[in-house]
Amino acid sequence: MLKLEDLSFHYTGNQDGESAQDYCFDLEANAGEIVGLTGRSGSGKSTCLDLIAGFLTPTKGRALINGDDISARPPGQRPVTILFQNNNLFEHLGTADNVALGINPSLRLTPTQKAQVNDALFKVGLDGLAERAAARLSGGEQQRVALARSLVAQKPVLLLDEPFSALDMDTRDDMLALVRRIVTERNLTCLMVTHDVRDCDRVADRRYQMVVDNGNRRVEEVQT
Amino acid sequence: MVSDWSWRPGVLVALGLLGLVVLVFVAILNVGDTTSSSTEFAGIGDILLVTTVQAGLSTLFSLCVGILLAWSLRHRHQFPGRRILLSLLSTSMVLPTLVVALGLIGVFGRRGWWNAVLGEGGIDLLHISVYGLGGIVLAHTYMDAPFMARGMLHRLENIPVEHFKLARGLGLSSWQRFRTVEWPALTPVIPGQCLVVFLLSFTSFAIVLMLGGSPRYNTLEVAIFEAVKLEFDLPRAVILALVQLAICAGLVLMAQAFRPASAAQAVQRLTFMWPESRVILIMQWTIIGLFSILFLGPLLAVSLDGMGADFSRITATDTFRRAFVSSLTLAAISAVVAITLGLLMARSQRHFSSILRSGNRSSNNIWLGLLGFSATVYLAVPALVLGLGFFLLARELSADRAIVAPVALIAANVMMALPFILVILTPALGKAADKYDRLAFSLDLRGWTRWRLIEWPVLRRDLGYLLALAFCLSLGDLGVIALFGSQDFATLPWLLYQHMGSYRTSDAAGIALILLALCLSVFFIVPRLFEGRSHAET
Repeated sequence: MLKLEDLSFHYTGNQDGESAQDYCFDLEANAGEIVGLTGRSGSGKSTCLDLIAGFLTPTKGRALINGDDISARPPGQRPVTILFQNNNLFEHLGTADNVALGINPSLRLTPTQKAQVNDALFKVGLDGLAERAAARLSGGEQQRVALARSLVAQKPVLLLDEPFSALDMDTRDDMLALVRRIVTERNLTCLMVTHDVRDCDRVADRRYQMVVDNGNRRVEEVQT
Repeated sequence: MVSDWSWRPGVLVALGLLGLVVLVFVAILNVGDTTSSSTEFAGIGDILLVTTVQAGLSTLFSLCVGILLAWSLRHRHQFPGRRILLSLLSTSMVLPTLVVALGLIGVFGRRGWWNAVLGEGGIDLLHISVYGLGGIVLAHTYMDAPFMARGMLHRLENIPVEHFKLARGLGLSSWQRFRTVEWPALTPVIPGQCLVVFLLSFTSFAIVLMLGGSPRYNTLEVAIFEAVKLEFDLPRAVILALVQLAICAGLVLMAQAFRPASAAQAVQRLTFMWPESRVILIMQWTIIGLFSILFLGPLLAVSLDGMGADFSRITATDTFRRAFVSSLTLAAISAVVAITLGLLMARSQRHFSSILRSGNRSSNNIWLGLLGFSATVYLAVPALVLGLGFFLLARELSADRAIVAPVALIAANVMMALPFILVILTPALGKAADKYDRLAFSLDLRGWTRWRLIEWPVLRRDLGYLLALAFCLSLGDLGVIALFGSQDFATLPWLLYQHMGSYRTSDAAGIALILLALCLSVFFIVPRLFEGRSHAET
């Protein structure tokens, strides 16, 4: 279970003219649930994931996963995996190696772990492509490899940052269905950030959206 | 935010470099303080005026030739030999200046090819003298126009293909296309590139020494050299060095202000061919052809002249062997040190320009400024000034010349290479960070593993190129060594200069060929060793 309590971030702006901005996130997602977070581009959706994953340091507030406050841990030691819109893979590595990074960054695997990698590739429908260089995979295939990696990493929270926005309609439907199946099977907690409400309509159990309130950006749950 | 201490060593390096400059400055100032008379200022005004004119002309010609060539190469993007021409352009930076001077003398000198072709009865106007102002500007254009062209070509190739399609669709002529699409892409880099070329010409040493012909065209660098080595007038050298420092520091600060936002896009494969009119086509081919001939001519002259030399005699002398060994050793040490320091500094720059690593604090810009300035400090403290500083330090501390000289040489070489190294490594590291930082942090890739998986595959080609570049720059440089060179401590360029000075033309030609061959082979072979079999497409 994922719970954000008043998780806040202050952006001081930059030289290119982006202005200062305050963000504040309060939301909850349960195990086995896909929760959507929608909003226009630039509204701060991805900032929310950056805070949960530990890429940014919050100014205040807490992020709880199964009751533990994780907001002080370094990114690699948080029980979350994250899928980005692109650059999910190291292009010079093979498919299997990219998955194996989820188990051991030094890529030295035991036979059992190798079997796990193959198993994960099978689950996402990519068995047989284990040796192919990541750069030669299609966009959809790349996202499947990244999903396979999140499977072997065995972390309870799955964060999706517009992961399918660059894909065509059919591939996107397949991927959403695949995520749904994995989340249910593994009883994961999934937070999906997207600008496309239809993605949420298709697979999400609940949905939050970004709102601007007195210049502060926060989230509010959408009642259906 | 990730706790990350990788920025510390780089900042130490930057502070160390600035410290070194302050030390040199203090050493020079110390001597300057104790003596003062009016003769030391004699002629400085003239030197400044003539040098400014010289550097201005060199910049103007380099800019014009550079733009024309880049524009032609952008549109004639497929012809046999284009790749070779491009890689030859990149060698212009590492060609030893003395070799360039010799080559130009071979082509345009009194007994050179050009005047031989024209014959005795040719039109007077076409007889070029390679000595004096014309020769200096010609040599500077020869070395700096390719540098300009490469920068400009990069900008032109980064113009989105859609813009060309749009221009075509709107029915623009080639000239209108240049005005509306190409020129605006070039203007942001022109001031910065011009300032760099101006600085290089303003501080030019070997070319002016060889081709100046008379003290009339001396740059401050040459004047410093003459004050130390010929007139034994250290106070005058000190005054000259201080003037030089002040002017160059001012120009470098100006150059920093003109740095454009880097075009972050990758170079695109050209998929749209503009059907040029016949006149434009002829123009482009002529520019490319003419430039190729003029660029290759001097190199060919050096090669042909050199082949006639008696290599067994040249290489048999002790002086040559020692110069050969110390040249290679110093160049190798300088290259490795420069790359190491460059990597550390690039890591610090990456840290302070990434919100994921350093948060977004306003102090980041101060750190970035410090790192940027200490990287370009070489331009502000030209070789001869640095050399003079070490020279005076050695005298002050009565230190052993045999130790100070190599240290001074390595320091100058490293500082000379650093701006080139950082200009490539910093964006490369930054790009890798933008692309993979989040992923690497979430997968907990750190230290050696991260280097092996992320930085090494992205950087290896650049590292190979930069290693070769730094090596060649050091190998061919005649700067600090001019002050420290002696029978006991020589490098190949110094030996070459000695031979040219004493009219041992054949030996000089032989050494020039050896130097050229060494430079070119290192420059083309070393990067290959770093390419590896990885299928990374960069």
